[in-house]
Amino acid sequence: MTSSGLPALRSAVIGAGAISLQHLDFLRSSSRSRLVGICDLSPVSSGIAARRFDAEDSFTDVATMLEQARPDVVHVLTPPNTHGFLATMCLERGVHVICEKPMSPTSSEAAELLAVAAKHGVHLVENHNYRFNDEILELQKVVAAGTIGDVHEVDIRMALPIRDEGSRFADENLPNPIHDMPAGVIHDFITHFAYLMNTLSGEATYERVAAVWSNHGGGDLFRFDDLDALLVGHNATGPFHGRLRFSCSTKPDLFSVVVRGSGGQAATDLFHPFLEVVGPRPGGEQLTPIVNHIVNGTKLARSGFKNFGQKLLQHGPYHGLAKFLDDTYAAFQNGQAPPVSPAQILAAAQLVDQLLEAEASR
Amino acid sequence: MKVFITGSTGFVGRHVVAEAIARGHEVVAMVRPASSPKALAAAEQTGRLSYCRGDLASRAGLAEGIAGCDVVLHLAAVKGGDFFSRFAGTVLGTENLLLATREAGVKNLVAVSTFSVYDYGARKAGTEFDETFPVISDPRGRDEYAETKLYQDELYEAFGAEDGNAMIMIRPGMIYGRDQLWHPLLGGEFGPINLRIGAKARPPITYVENTADALALAAEAIVDPARRSQVDGQVVNIVDDELPTQAEYAKRVQALEETPSSIFVPRPLMRAAASAVDAVNKQFFDGRAKVPSIGMPDQIDARFKPFVYRNDKAKRLLGWTPRHDLTAALQRSVSGVDLVSDVVQRST
Repeated sequence: MTSSGLPALRSAVIGAGAISLQHLDFLRSSSRSRLVGICDLSPVSSGIAARRFDAEDSFTDVATMLEQARPDVVHVLTPPNTHGFLATMCLERGVHVICEKPMSPTSSEAAELLAVAAKHGVHLVENHNYRFNDEILELQKVVAAGTIGDVHEVDIRMALPIRDEGSRFADENLPNPIHDMPAGVIHDFITHFAYLMNTLSGEATYERVAAVWSNHGGGDLFRFDDLDALLVGHNATGPFHGRLRFSCSTKPDLFSVVVRGSGGQAATDLFHPFLEVVGPRPGGEQLTPIVNHIVNGTKLARSGFKNFGQKLLQHGPYHGLAKFLDDTYAAFQNGQAPPVSPAQILAAAQLVDQLLEAEASR
Repeated sequence: MKVFITGSTGFVGRHVVAEAIARGHEVVAMVRPASSPKALAAAEQTGRLSYCRGDLASRAGLAEGIAGCDVVLHLAAVKGGDFFSRFAGTVLGTENLLLATREAGVKNLVAVSTFSVYDYGARKAGTEFDETFPVISDPRGRDEYAETKLYQDELYEAFGAEDGNAMIMIRPGMIYGRDQLWHPLLGGEFGPINLRIGAKARPPITYVENTADALALAAEAIVDPARRSQVDGQVVNIVDDELPTQAEYAKRVQALEETPSSIFVPRPLMRAAASAVDAVNKQFFDGRAKVPSIGMPDQIDARFKPFVYRNDKAKRLLGWTPRHDLTAALQRSVSGVDLVSDVVQRST
C-alpha cells in the first residue's frame, strides 16, 4: 500500500538504455509503484538493470514479461521506431503505457495509438517532462497571475553540440536510430518544443507556419542539424507569434524559453535554471526598468548558488520527469485523467507535422 | 595461431597486434566501420593482418570475423562518458563479442580486465598486492569505470565456466606509453586545479609494449594444448619489474616533456578530506551529491594507497619478463620511431 492508502501499481520497463535511469530511479523510490520487471533484448542489460534498481525480475521478451510479471503500467523506453508495436502490445492487454518521446513519427500514428488505448480502456501517456520542471511551473504561475499580461509571443531556443565528436548522434560507426525519424536527430527534441509551445501559448492555433530545416554540417548521417521556425496564429487573447530555434553551432548550450505578453515578459533557461520576470514594478514608469534590473539581477545571482547546489545533488534538467511520473501514477491510482492528456499529445504531434510540412512545401 | 583482437587500433591494441605478428601469428583486427586503421599500416604489410569491420554494439558480421580464429583477445573498452556510455561500450560490447565467439565455435578467450576491480580498502597500506587481493564484492555504488569492468568480469567468468571453454583474465596495472606518460596515479583534476597526490607510493605501472608482450604470451598459452589447463581460469596481474615512486617517475617524465602544473597534496590529507566530504554527503544528502572521482575515498585508495605490487605469477605462468625497463620505455615513448613498425620488423 502507498502512503495514500492506495495499492502500489505493478510497474515494468521495456528498454534498459540511458533514459531508463531516470524512470527506474523514480520507480525504485516511489511508494506508488512496485517494480515487477525490466525487459531488454540484451539479457545482460535487463539483468544488471534489475540488480541495480531492485526489480523483481528481468526479461528479454515483452510478451513473456506481460504474462508473468502482470504489470499495471509499462514504461516504453526503446528507440522511437519500436514505440508503436510495443505500446500496442501493452495496451491490447489492458496495461497503461507511459511512452518516451517522440511517441510516434507522425500525428496520424499517434492518433491510432491513442485510439487503441481508448478502445481498451487504458491510458497512453507521452513523456512531456519539461512541462513539469520547477521553472516552467513557476513561469506558468507568473502568466496565470497576470504579471506579464496577455501572452502574445513564445520563443523557444535550444542549442546543443549534436555534431561534436563524442556526441551520441555523431557516431558514423553506429548511427543512432533517431536519424531515421522524419526530423532526423531534431526529432529527439522537437516534441519538447511542441508541447512547451502549445502549453505556454495557451493552446494557440497556428494558421501560418514557416520552417526552415537545414543540414549545415552536410554529409549523409544527419538529415537536419538546424531548425528555424515561425508560427503565426491566435490564442484566446488575440494574435500569437511563436519562434522555434534549434542550433548545433552556437554556444552556450541552452534551452531558453521566453514568454512575452502585453504587460511584460518572463524567461528561463531549462539547462541553467533561473526565472527572469520583467513587468510593472512599484515606482511607476520611470523606476520600473531599474527595479526590474535590481530584482532580476539579485535573482540571477541567487540562481548561480542554487544551481551549483543542484548540480552537486544531480538535480538536472530532467528533474521534471519525477513529478510527471508521480502525477501520472497518482492519476492512475485514483482513476483520474493523467496530467498529459490525449489531446495534448496529439496537438504536439500535429505541430511537428506542420513544421515538417512547411519544409516540404518550401 | 590466428588471433582475433578487439580494440586493435587503440593505445594498447596496436602494440598487441604488432607483437602477435612479430611472434609469427596471424591477426584478425576488429576495426570500427568508419575508422581508419592507419596505426597498423606496418603490420598490414606483413600480409598476416586482416580486418573485421564492425562495432561491438552490434553482432552484425562479428561471428564471421571470429570464425577460424584460435583465440579471441578482448581489449576494447570505453573509458569515458557517463555510466550508460561505458555500460554500452564495455559490458554490452563484451556480451555481443562473447555471443559471437560462441556462435563461431571459438573456445579460447584472453580477457582484459583492470586493477580498478580490486577493493583497495580491504587491506592496509604497505601490504603485498598480488592476484589474491580481494575484489570489490558489490559493483553498485562504485565509480562507473570499476562498476562496468566488474560486470564485464562476470561475463568473462561465465564464458570461461562453459563446457570446453578456456579463459585467462589479464589485469594490467596503469599502462603508460607514448602520449600517455602523465598518468592518473600521479594525481588528477579537481575542478580547474591539477593535484599531485602523494609522492612515495610506487604505483603499479606497466609500459604499453610490455603489456602487449604479456597479452600475446597469454594468447599463446591458452591455445597451447600442453598449457591450456594450467592457465584456464587464472587471473594474472601485469606490472613491470621497475616500479619508481610517484616522485621519481614524475621527475623522469618532467625531464622529457611538458607536464601540467599542479599543486601537491599529501595522500593522508586528501584521504581525510575525501572521508569528511563522504560523511557529509551520506549524513545530509543521502549520498546523492556527485563528487569528482578524485574526491571519493574509494578512488583515493585505488589510485594512491601504497602497496607492494608483485608480478611473479605473470612470469611463472606466462614466461613473461618486461622487455623494456623504465629508461628504455620512456625513450621509446618520446622518440619519433614508428613502434608498430619497429616491433613487426623483429619478425621480418
